[in-house]
Amino acid sequence: MRKPIAALAVATALAVGAVEAQAQDRLVIAGRDAAFGTALARMVEAYQQRNPTVRIERLELPGGPLYERIALNARERARALDVVMLDDIWAPEFMANNWLADLDRLGGVPGTFVKSADAVSRNPVGTGPRFAAPMVGNVAMFAYRGDLLAKHGLQPPRSWTEVATIARTIQEREPGVAGVAFRGIRGNPIVTGFLPILGAYGGEIIDSQGRAALDSPAALAALEQFLALRPLAPRGVETWNATEVREAMEQGRIAMSAEFWPGWAGTLDDASRSRVVGNVNLVSPPGQTRGPAPMLGAWMLGVAADSPNAARALDFIRFVVSPENQKRIAIETGNPPTLAALYADTDLVRQFRWYPAQLQALENAVARPRIAQWNRVEAILGEHLQMALVGQTQPREALAEANREIQRALAR
Amino acid sequence: MRAQNRPWLLLVLLAPAAALFVLLTMYPLARVFLLSFAASDHGFEGARFVGLENYAELLQGRSFRRAAWNTAFFALVATVAEVLVGLGLALLLDRAFAFRRALTLVVLAPYVLSTIVVAAIWRAWFHYDVGFLNNALRAVGLDGVPWLFDPNIALLSIALADVWQNAPFCFLILYAGLRSIPPELYEAARIDGAGAWRRFRDITVPLLTPYLFVAALMRTLDSFKLFDKVYAMTGGGPGNATETLSMHVHRLAFRFFDIGLASAAAVAMILVAGTLGAAYAVQLLRSEAR
Repeated sequence: MRKPIAALAVATALAVGAVEAQAQDRLVIAGRDAAFGTALARMVEAYQQRNPTVRIERLELPGGPLYERIALNARERARALDVVMLDDIWAPEFMANNWLADLDRLGGVPGTFVKSADAVSRNPVGTGPRFAAPMVGNVAMFAYRGDLLAKHGLQPPRSWTEVATIARTIQEREPGVAGVAFRGIRGNPIVTGFLPILGAYGGEIIDSQGRAALDSPAALAALEQFLALRPLAPRGVETWNATEVREAMEQGRIAMSAEFWPGWAGTLDDASRSRVVGNVNLVSPPGQTRGPAPMLGAWMLGVAADSPNAARALDFIRFVVSPENQKRIAIETGNPPTLAALYADTDLVRQFRWYPAQLQALENAVARPRIAQWNRVEAILGEHLQMALVGQTQPREALAEANREIQRALAR
Repeated sequence: MRAQNRPWLLLVLLAPAAALFVLLTMYPLARVFLLSFAASDHGFEGARFVGLENYAELLQGRSFRRAAWNTAFFALVATVAEVLVGLGLALLLDRAFAFRRALTLVVLAPYVLSTIVVAAIWRAWFHYDVGFLNNALRAVGLDGVPWLFDPNIALLSIALADVWQNAPFCFLILYAGLRSIPPELYEAARIDGAGAWRRFRDITVPLLTPYLFVAALMRTLDSFKLFDKVYAMTGGGPGNATETLSMHVHRLAFRFFDIGLASAAAVAMILVAGTLGAAYAVQLLRSEAR
């Protein structure tokens, strides 16, 4: 009787040991949904094929919930995540709180990244060690229908007032086509839609001394210009997010988009989905009193500081940002690369004819204010911008109130 | 021997439930209450006592005041509508007619759906360009309604979805109440010459009042916690037209990690919900005493 029991005990111990040993080689990845999610899913699939013994779990979340998941994991020291995908604007908070591992210390990530994306992945910005590797080189572009502008003898807009004039002209002459669109939903989308206009008017959210700076004539002029676009946009633009803008452009229902991310452009020239093949041009956003202010929106990969599988996590990140995989991501999902050399790659330029303009915008891209409280500042501004957009408050009042609340948030 | 005669046995029997109550209800409540007087971004670790500062900031902040107003408005409108619709359905389905059972199942269907599914359905129906509701309006020559992006309509639109989902709950309670009224009362009233309205006013309403009260109170408490429908349908917008207290607390706690301010807002919510709950308990005790 004793022998079988002993054998069973040994077998159980071995099985538990084997499972534990296997469990150690695992990877939990928290990443975005939508086009970013597709890119990450492809990479996980490819990495899994190359490393069949690694147990990989990928969480796919929209931007807001992803931030919450990563921040909660770090604050609770849950050690539940290994690789985290982050918006460049979360980086100051994550790096300041030591939530990300120093990738240089872990072994480094090779590659020459586009300068602006490379800078925000380091702490201090541009000069410090690397805490993240840029995965998607997004920069806010301006999109317009070249065929429609040519048809009505219009030149591409060089200023935001010209955008409004062109939008009005096309709206009057082209039934079923709205002049211009943008993301009007509150929070991050409306703020990122507004920032290129604010920058073009020389306005700032936070000044160089770290004080709220929205209560200014430049910001007011920018907001009034932004609101002037509303009657030229499709009805319901207040609820529009990325999907709505992208689809409206693909279906030929808008002539221009004040903000168009290259990550949305992957299918613009795909005849099976798009009605405007070859007709949409992506360029740097217009200027106004200042030159264009294209906004950086890089998505990066980092290793959670408390990751129990940091070496494996770094290996995965190196895999994703390698030249062959960056090219594959661009070709298969339309997400723009972060390695500078790929913007001259003939295959990619053939598929994405706007890459030279995009690289130029990316090299001149303006990063959002590098402050740890950005998440809160963005939420405050996003709420007041939308209240102005839907007519709940006047522009001057919206900016003054946002400025007061932002100042209070910065002081907390 | 009865347990009441042996206090130690009572204590032993009550201990597990009491321990769970203290651990899962009292401890978190006490913690939230204490944190509401602190500046903290992560529990008590690194927390700083700030007295009533969080409460003062809440009251000064337009977002909180708007969220409180939205919550109260929604709770009132949704509850009244749900109880009235539930009452109408109960009166209708209390009568004998063909396909009554099938109709009862149809009426109850929305109540068994998950809230996120309900929100997805109504978000699609409310779509300005291709939604079912605006298509129906355009089919009869009317203009489409900006259901979710007009700040004056958005909260009412969410209330409409809530009524669709939760009126069946009121129906269930009120239907049970109707079935408990002895039919002899109606027969006697009919013999005495009372018409339908008189029978409804003098028999149905008085005898159904406790059920109406329970339905209204339970729906008020539930509406007061509104979060998921708003989160899925409007995200609190347009502007802050649909932001509720639950969403406000969530944003403060999990987006801003301002745990002190979030705790103060939560305490304010608990006070209101507690008052409503106490009213419910008092009414329950009174009716039991009767």
